[in-house]
Amino acid sequence: MERRSLWRIILEGIRRMEAEVNRMEEELFKMIKEAEVMRRCITPLYNLYESGDEVILTADLPGTNKDEIELIAGEDYFKIEAPCKSPVRRIQEGRYVLHVRLPVKVDPETVKARYKEGVLEVVAKKKITGHRVKVE
Amino acid sequence: MRGDLREEQGVEIVEVKPIKDGGLIFIEGFPDVGLVGTIATSYLIDKLGLEEVGYINAETLPPIIAVSEEKLRELVRVYRGGRIVAIVSDIPLPAPLVKPMAYTLMSWVKSKEPELFISLSGLPDPNRLNIDKPGVFVLGCNPELTEKLVSINGVSKFREGFIAGVKGMLLREGWRLKVDAAIVLAQSHYNYPDPGAAAEIILYLSKLLKIGVDVAPLLESAEELKLRLRDLMRRTDQVMHGIQKSKELELPPVYL
Repeated sequence: MERRSLWRIILEGIRRMEAEVNRMEEELFKMIKEAEVMRRCITPLYNLYESGDEVILTADLPGTNKDEIELIAGEDYFKIEAPCKSPVRRIQEGRYVLHVRLPVKVDPETVKARYKEGVLEVVAKKKITGHRVKVE
Repeated sequence: MRGDLREEQGVEIVEVKPIKDGGLIFIEGFPDVGLVGTIATSYLIDKLGLEEVGYINAETLPPIIAVSEEKLRELVRVYRGGRIVAIVSDIPLPAPLVKPMAYTLMSWVKSKEPELFISLSGLPDPNRLNIDKPGVFVLGCNPELTEKLVSINGVSKFREGFIAGVKGMLLREGWRLKVDAAIVLAQSHYNYPDPGAAAEIILYLSKLLKIGVDVAPLLESAEELKLRLRDLMRRTDQVMHGIQKSKELELPPVYL
């Protein structure tokens, strides 16, 4: 009986956490859509990875072209802006804006970018400082 | 007036126009990786001129009704044209709905004595940007079916890995209920809509089912489609976190 009550308490706790996560995600969706409609600034879908000595950002930017993409790379951020031409209502003449804080510092001079089939890929080498240590 | 009504665990399949004949091919395109199944199934519905014949309702679906061209439409719909029945959804299935949906849907499909049930999906590939022509992989719920499906040139067997979410559960139910169920996957972006991957699946189905669907219009409107499906992709990505969809990037453990 006591064990069942304990399980119920744990399950209720998990459900409360799930509800809170759902509420926060719903709030995020709402903020993104409100900003898009009010400012005509489109938050693209994006992924940020760390791979070995590189940081890789990809962003889905359909409806633009590579010559119009403005990419600014700092030591700890990437900023991307691009026009978006689309027949989709609410997006017509919109502008992609993405400002991403990086998890580690990178060397901005190593940044390479390419745009293929609507996806932008940005790759930067991590800024690694330190001393080589001999392993005994 | 409702047609046939089936209800199990809060999921009901309503046939507004009853589906009575056997030997049909069921195609499912619930949203998941790259929205590949959703794009492919919706495109087939459009190009083959399938007619809406029913819908699926469930307790755990959000209280939303869609409006399109001034008409109300159900979130999860069933279409039919000739021997093809297609199922699509305007929203990702919430995690608590995955198993009840798979049980109810496959049990309904079995009652129709189908020829084949096919789930369409994306196979997440982190290297997708470097792939010009996505590979197509097939898996039947029994080895004989897999051999039959792979007999079409240019596709490979899905040999090992995980299939998460409703697609995996449907395959499992097909296996359990002895329905010829299969999954067709194309290499795809994980959380960007991928019409290019959907086009490869349609090309495969065109040959398998001899339906001759041209994918050129899909590829021409790929960028617009990606923009239109951005919100659905964002919400699907959120749901995929809840069903361990990223598990599909892993291989099953080997203990020997």
